[in-house]
Amino acid sequence: MESVISVKNLSKNFGVTRAIKNLSFTVYKGEIFGIIGPNGAGKTTTLEILEGISVPSGGDVEVLGLNPSKQLRELNKKIGVQFQATSIQKKMKVKEALDLFSSFYEGPTQKDYLIDLLGLREKMNVKFDDLSGGWKQRVTLALATLHEPEILFLDEPSMGLDPSARREMWSLIRLLRDRGSTIVVTTHYMEEAEQLCDRVAMIYSGQLKALDTPRDLLNEGVADCLAINSAELSREYLLSLPGVERVEHEQDEFKVYCDDQQTTAYHILTHCQEKGIRLTGFKFEKGSLDDLFVQYLEKEKIG
Amino acid sequence: MNAIVKLASLETKMFFRDRLSVFWTFLFPVVMIWLFGSMFVGDNMSQKAFAEYFVPSWIGVNIVTTSFFTLGTVLTNYRETGVLRRYQSTPLQPWKILAAHTFQGTVIFAISAVLLLVFGMILYDLTLPTYIGSTLLSLLISILAFFPFALFLTSLAKNAQSAAAISSLFLNLMLFLSGATFPLEMMPTVLQYAAKILPLYYVIQLLRGTWTEAPITEYGFEAAVLIGIAIVFVVLAVRFFRWSGK
Repeated sequence: MESVISVKNLSKNFGVTRAIKNLSFTVYKGEIFGIIGPNGAGKTTTLEILEGISVPSGGDVEVLGLNPSKQLRELNKKIGVQFQATSIQKKMKVKEALDLFSSFYEGPTQKDYLIDLLGLREKMNVKFDDLSGGWKQRVTLALATLHEPEILFLDEPSMGLDPSARREMWSLIRLLRDRGSTIVVTTHYMEEAEQLCDRVAMIYSGQLKALDTPRDLLNEGVADCLAINSAELSREYLLSLPGVERVEHEQDEFKVYCDDQQTTAYHILTHCQEKGIRLTGFKFEKGSLDDLFVQYLEKEKIG
Repeated sequence: MNAIVKLASLETKMFFRDRLSVFWTFLFPVVMIWLFGSMFVGDNMSQKAFAEYFVPSWIGVNIVTTSFFTLGTVLTNYRETGVLRRYQSTPLQPWKILAAHTFQGTVIFAISAVLLLVFGMILYDLTLPTYIGSTLLSLLISILAFFPFALFLTSLAKNAQSAAAISSLFLNLMLFLSGATFPLEMMPTVLQYAAKILPLYYVIQLLRGTWTEAPITEYGFEAAVLIGIAIVFVVLAVRFFRWSGK
């Protein structure tokens, strides 16, 4: 696979704070690459280094064969960026913004296509400040993709969107990928990473903790769990079963994390049937990146 | 080129969308002339003499207010709200942004200058400048000196508040020390020398001079000082253009 971004041993210091420590990863052409982590993990800093806005303190970064901070103008012709906390002029109308940003690029833009795709036609004469959050995101997404960028950087694209707008945003992002862009997206919504990304880099306090497809991350990292409701079960019994890693317990609800859900379920059900223990709920639950994340953070605390 | 034209016309259009700020921007200089007129016109000063002294001065002061308060404030606000940051990831170069805002500032300044002129002609028997070509050329040089000067100084500010503080400091210093409001002859020698450090002094010498006395060729030194300021600050403003407040 052709790589479009390669990061080797990247570090970034702000004074004495080491925001990024020895980060390495590669992004391949045509994938949706997620960078996830809690707030303050270094996601935005990483993105800004890739975009050439921020200069790395150490390590090598190559984006589309360019050194981002040194060849920024060349890079800007090929990439599109949707920032987390930027705005366009409040009194600028949508139509004017699209026109203006189109004039920044040489050659034709896909403005009309994007207007239809994002449904902006009805909002063309509305000032940016009068748009709702979801529409603002659409407009800034349009501005970032006018020139059909080879790489599209999205910093928390679904922040502040309601669930249905978020799903729409995901399908738009997938569509842009299908039209040939590579997409790098940061998020702290684990669900977003699971649903949207082909591969996910998990960053915590400036270090890479895991990097894989969401499915593989989940398969390796998180034991799936059984959610059981019962007033009569004991935690000690559950922990004594083979293959059980840990048990979370809150009032009548148990979460049993285990290697093999079916075997553990068999043990529990047989035991309860024999002893006459009453179960009021029994469910197979898939682990999520959220669980994985919590697990990593806990390991961090213990280690 | 297309990008500059689009940006310049949009920024100008957007200024006029904010009706309240348009009103105050253009009302202020006219009110000031009227106030000074009611103070100075009398036994010692004829209406015409007053107008020939103060209207060119206030046109000069207007270059300062436009450059610091209209341009400087707008760009500081753009820096704070991430508008410039957004441009940073496009191929748009800093000098194009500065040029577009210089155009916007020139339009706003030209309107208030014409208002002052007309007001002076109607109320105080002011006539058009004697060497009108020289006066226009002086205005052009003054704009090219002041706009980048103000854009550079306000770009040093961390946020809108400190930009406003910088702007007020410069405006007030220049208002009182450049001969714009109070004749320099009234002041102690030290202050008369201090005035010559401030760029507005040269603007006002040029404007008053070409209005009544002589063409710009007679004011080579003043013109040269302003051209020098223009060159230095265009270079500084472009070279040290800041995209964000950080």
